[in-house]
Amino acid sequence: MRITVRAFASFREILGGDMDVELAEGATMHFLLSSLSLNNPRFKEEAFSSSGEPRDHLLLMLNRKRIDPVGGLQISLCEGDEVAVFPPASGG
Amino acid sequence: MIDITEGDFSIQELVEMARRPDAGAVVVFLGTVRDDGVQRLEVESFREAALLELERIREEAVSRFGLLSADLVHRVGSLSTGENMVLIAVSAPHREEAFKGCRYILEQLKKRVPVWKKEIGKEGSRWVGQ
Repeated sequence: MRITVRAFASFREILGGDMDVELAEGATMHFLLSSLSLNNPRFKEEAFSSSGEPRDHLLLMLNRKRIDPVGGLQISLCEGDEVAVFPPASGG
Repeated sequence: MIDITEGDFSIQELVEMARRPDAGAVVVFLGTVRDDGVQRLEVESFREAALLELERIREEAVSRFGLLSADLVHRVGSLSTGENMVLIAVSAPHREEAFKGCRYILEQLKKRVPVWKKEIGKEGSRWVGQ
């Protein structure tokens, strides 16, 4: 299945921009983030602590809705899902 | 009006949108780019999600404070010091609700809306708040 990853601010710079990722059916959000980490040590370092916990400044949206960065990692993704990865807001 | 735009906005236009016969108060907040020793700001948004969140915040402010109107424009792109960045205009029957409603929108915007600022200086750049 194909998942669209959209990255913003510091995570856009680290990941190089938006991308489509091919994953096996039923893959979880955690699997997606691990896949991104595999090819990108800087993303791994920014997104996860040394013990593998998601860092506080890693925020996630699934189809434009915020998801919990800890509990939400177990969500199974579906074909065509859009996952957004970004740091805390700093506008205004 | 809720908008995210690269171009500048008209303060007068938003004030006129807020003005109405049953409003005794129009409160306007204008956020500008502060000179913190930076040359400019790069402002970026997740536009689709930011517009949805701003609509939610507007609805919350209208219902909590009894506002008659609430409009907001946030700029993105490359902004120099002193330039307009965000404008919030609200109207209410009385000043108390108008001040509170405007402040609520601003504080929630800063916390919840996916917009980011990057300071660009002579000696490098950094994302604000990270």
